[in-house]
Amino acid sequence: MSRKLIGVVTVTSLLALFIFNDMVGDWGRLSGGWDNLVIFFNESLWPPDWSVLEAQSYPVCDQEVEFFCSVAWLGMVDTLKIAFVATALGFVFALPLSVLAANNLSPLWMAIPARVVLAAMRSLPSIIWAVLFMIIFDVGTLAGIFAMTFYTVGYLGKLQFESIEGLKNAPLEAAKAMGMTRAETAWHVALPESANHLLSHLMFMFEYNVRHGTVIGLVGAGGIGLYINTYLKLTQYDKVVALLIVIFIVVVLIDFLSMVIRSTVTEEGDVRRPSWSTIFLPASISSKYHTTPMKKHSSDEDE
Amino acid sequence: MNEVLAHLHDVSIGYDTPLIENINVEISEGDVIAILGPSGIGKTTLLRTISGLIRPLSGEIELAIPSRGGLGYIPQRLGLVGNLSVRANVSMGARVRTSRWWPAVFPLPKAFEEDITKAMRHLGIEELADQPVRILSGGQQRRVATARTVAQQPKLVLADEFLGELDDDNVEVVMNTVRATIRAHNSALIMVEHHEELAREVANRIWRIKDGKLIEEVVD
Repeated sequence: MSRKLIGVVTVTSLLALFIFNDMVGDWGRLSGGWDNLVIFFNESLWPPDWSVLEAQSYPVCDQEVEFFCSVAWLGMVDTLKIAFVATALGFVFALPLSVLAANNLSPLWMAIPARVVLAAMRSLPSIIWAVLFMIIFDVGTLAGIFAMTFYTVGYLGKLQFESIEGLKNAPLEAAKAMGMTRAETAWHVALPESANHLLSHLMFMFEYNVRHGTVIGLVGAGGIGLYINTYLKLTQYDKVVALLIVIFIVVVLIDFLSMVIRSTVTEEGDVRRPSWSTIFLPASISSKYHTTPMKKHSSDEDE
Repeated sequence: MNEVLAHLHDVSIGYDTPLIENINVEISEGDVIAILGPSGIGKTTLLRTISGLIRPLSGEIELAIPSRGGLGYIPQRLGLVGNLSVRANVSMGARVRTSRWWPAVFPLPKAFEEDITKAMRHLGIEELADQPVRILSGGQQRRVATARTVAQQPKLVLADEFLGELDDDNVEVVMNTVRATIRAHNSALIMVEHHEELAREVANRIWRIKDGKLIEEVVD
């Protein structure tokens, strides 16, 4: 590391510490914080109240398995539905906007307005969109879906146009020289060429929306967050913890599912495909147990 | 009488400073032109300028070919879409033969599909039709790029070192297919080539770039 870099890092760190110290003010009031947390944890948070996995007393459960009438299941399914619909709708609107916003596909007079629209949609966090849509559609799932769709369009659109702008020049230049139209270049060159990134962003967005679905539920926009909000108001923190553990497990499962799906389209996926049994292992170890790699066509075949 | 396809009037090319100056040449139907010269002298820049990807520093380029589909371009890095199949890449050539109002998401008419299959067969890549291009070897990818141009049936083909990485047998297959396409559609080919012997064998005109000038040589 160069001396200049060390100097910059040191000065920045010291400045951050100085500002932090200034913001905290009196360090003395933090002295009992840890003890308070331990007491709160033992008395209110742990053990989790797993009654959230049992059927609710009302309405009467008509399912064979009681779990399917539980708060955890109903809330999580609602959150997943909101996240899925919002991600799918968001993707449909984000894709054309990202093509318009990419400056290697569109002229500036088209790219700038498209970027402004995307920036506007992402500048408000989904929780604020949720509040706005609750005014229009009342409290519930619909407001949640609209809020997350709006944020998804802004966020996914930006990720996607940046991916498209990062594409190699040669395929785009060949298409331009041949006389392909912008729509043809976008559909037949740019989108397939950036498909790995687009899919990766899409899976990330779904996972993000599931996590965030719980947050916008807190303001009444449906899903598991609505139940968490209710339990928080009733100070039933042990039930909140149980629901948070459920969310954590679902998010981890989605993350793994995302890895498997992405591995089917990435170039690395041709030779390294993760399996469910090895997914917890570090890449260097798990690659030894991966299924038989797809063979590359040997250059000896024709040369 | 062979028609003139392109005319370069007093053209100077380069990026900030000129690489080649005062180019005055005509390209006619049936021409197979090889551009020779050391690396970095402006051969690729000349092809990119003729293709319209960059503007000449001065002078004028007149092209008597359709703006859509009239020009076939095989860049040094081939310009293939790695995630798509061989057939999808070759079909891009045929796509520019449709009207520009033909929707991008529509499949191609059947007659075009036959041309695509024929182009792949001529270049010996029919069996690889469904394979993604990214898993093919360098030589196979070169044949895919050539098949895309054959399916396009352009009036003027610009190829940047497209015979590199090919062995003698494959050079013959590729050149025979390209020559047949040029004959069939009264087209012309301009190719950048490093091997003088090969260039003299396949071309009927040689452009040698030397000291910032384009010098036309007679092929014996």
